[in-house]
Amino acid sequence: MAILYVRAAPTTDLNRNTEWFTYPGVWSTYILILFFSWLMVLSVFACSPGMAWTVVHLSHFFVTYQFFHWKKGTPFAEDQGIYNRLTWWEQIDSGQQLTRNRKFLTVVPIVLYLIASHTTDYQHPMLFFNTVAVFVLVVAKFPHMHKVRIFGINADQ
Amino acid sequence: MIIPYLTALTTYFSYGLLFAFGQLRDFFRKSVDWWSASTLQGYAPICLGLEDFYIRRLYLRIQDCFNRPISSPPDAWFDVVERVSNDNNKTLKRTTKVNRCLNLGSYNYLGFAAADEYCTPRVIECLKKYTPSTCSTRVDGGTTILHAEMEECVANFVGKPAAIVFGMGYVTNSAILPVLIGKGGLIISDSLNHNSIVNGARGSGATVRVFQHNTPSHLESVLREQIADGQPRTHRPWKKIIVVVEGIYSMEGELCKLPEIVSICKKYKAFVYLDEAHSIGAVGKSGRGVCELLGVDTADVDIMMGTFTKSFGSSGGYIAGSKELIQYLKYTCPTHLYATSISAPAAQQIISSIKVVLGEDGSSRGAQKLARIRENSNFFRSELQKMGFEVLGDNDSPVMPIMLYNPAKIPAFSRECLKRNVAVVTVAFPATPLLLARARICISASHSREDLLKALEVIGTVGDMVGVKYFPAEPNKQQVEVGQVKKVD
Repeated sequence: MAILYVRAAPTTDLNRNTEWFTYPGVWSTYILILFFSWLMVLSVFACSPGMAWTVVHLSHFFVTYQFFHWKKGTPFAEDQGIYNRLTWWEQIDSGQQLTRNRKFLTVVPIVLYLIASHTTDYQHPMLFFNTVAVFVLVVAKFPHMHKVRIFGINADQ
Repeated sequence: MIIPYLTALTTYFSYGLLFAFGQLRDFFRKSVDWWSASTLQGYAPICLGLEDFYIRRLYLRIQDCFNRPISSPPDAWFDVVERVSNDNNKTLKRTTKVNRCLNLGSYNYLGFAAADEYCTPRVIECLKKYTPSTCSTRVDGGTTILHAEMEECVANFVGKPAAIVFGMGYVTNSAILPVLIGKGGLIISDSLNHNSIVNGARGSGATVRVFQHNTPSHLESVLREQIADGQPRTHRPWKKIIVVVEGIYSMEGELCKLPEIVSICKKYKAFVYLDEAHSIGAVGKSGRGVCELLGVDTADVDIMMGTFTKSFGSSGGYIAGSKELIQYLKYTCPTHLYATSISAPAAQQIISSIKVVLGEDGSSRGAQKLARIRENSNFFRSELQKMGFEVLGDNDSPVMPIMLYNPAKIPAFSRECLKRNVAVVTVAFPATPLLLARARICISASHSREDLLKALEVIGTVGDMVGVKYFPAEPNKQQVEVGQVKKVD
């Protein structure tokens, strides 16, 4: 089998926490992880495909909200805490808005929502939970929400 | 950098899995700790949030591959102390057993790390005459005649009018940059510059911009954009622009594209700061570094910095430049004014090793060492590439990283090599990008041809076992006997 090679362009991002997102293969890995988790949910719970997509969508919501928009700072101490007030979403691409990576990450929850609602035939109560999840995620990714902390939730002292 | 696509996908997945397991363990640890009482009520936590997550959950799992203690001088063969762990690598205890291993990790480019027949007697004599420490700063009572002779020696060797020497290499970068440039200045540094330069740039207060590694065209576009914009907010012209590059990048083994960068800096009137920590003494026909190798006039590089820890077997760092620059540094640099001066035996080692390299000790050992390191590096690199490994770095560079990528291959490669008595240094995130973990090999002039062949055999076997031969191996040609010129010592 022929081995496929890609060329990695050097980046100028000094933040090691977000620099890995600029290398090739990240988008494909993300989509493959979502697809395989759908297969796993289907095989473990033996439910309908629509319920499985809803489960994947909601757990994706919890995981990405926690790690992209709630946890602040970096998981290592070498950068001496200069990113301690910024969530991961605010750190990527050095804070530039509307880059390719950000657009991709905004589109993924929307596509997941469409798949989840279509495969459950837009029934309640799944539709309600899915809609709330996608609303929260998309609003959190707006350019105007950069460094905004509503009602002081998750702000620093 | 060419990456196999499937490996990239599996590497991201592995790191995701490690991260998920780490978070799960943290969650259980937090729940268990919530029940037990804490004696530190009201104290602020030592680590904020997730700061120590990487250390606790990823680094400590493979801790036995890093920080290995040695119990002999770091020559071509050295003694590695064995360690055991009773709690799954959380703590390691030293045993009394040692392993005699081939040293592929020390920056021992010219072989001065072990006892040398010219340098060591002179250093011991100097130790008896001047004692280990000068017990004073340079300006108070710490400048001996050795220090003056050493600075002159270094300036002559590097090809600049004057030089100043400090006791520590890291400090040379991080304490000089704040003195040279301040608020209102601009530092443009390569994206893969060493931590000491990043530290010094941050400490100086100047604006820092980064250009794509070793890409002169991107440097030019960054320079043009910054000169046109001026200082942030006020848009006044910059007071000073310094471009910082390194001679050999220690994680890539690549040489800097110095001629293009120097011509761009001359065009836009920016100063060039060249950090030759790994290239001084190791490359170039007479060992004078990357300027000699690439044919750049040393008068074009404004500030040349280097360290003595790699090729000269000593400790300390130097800055070489014009007489006015060095005089200014002697008045203002805090390291010169307040830090203890470099110890006298270390200074003597620097003087003696430079004399050996230049041939002034009366023998041709210096030229032989330089020829041997060049031969060794080129031979080793080409053999590794023939076996199918992905090896980075340019020809003539003694640093060669072998790409591993997957996080599981890092401890596998390191431990299997140690079992076969070859000690390699593996580097992972965050010293390198997440995807690009590597095993870095540093070739020395004291490695003989048999040592290199043994290393190749071991690395070949381990590479097959671990699965790091990402490129197709070249077919085995007929064994051509390369005419080896017998070196008469």
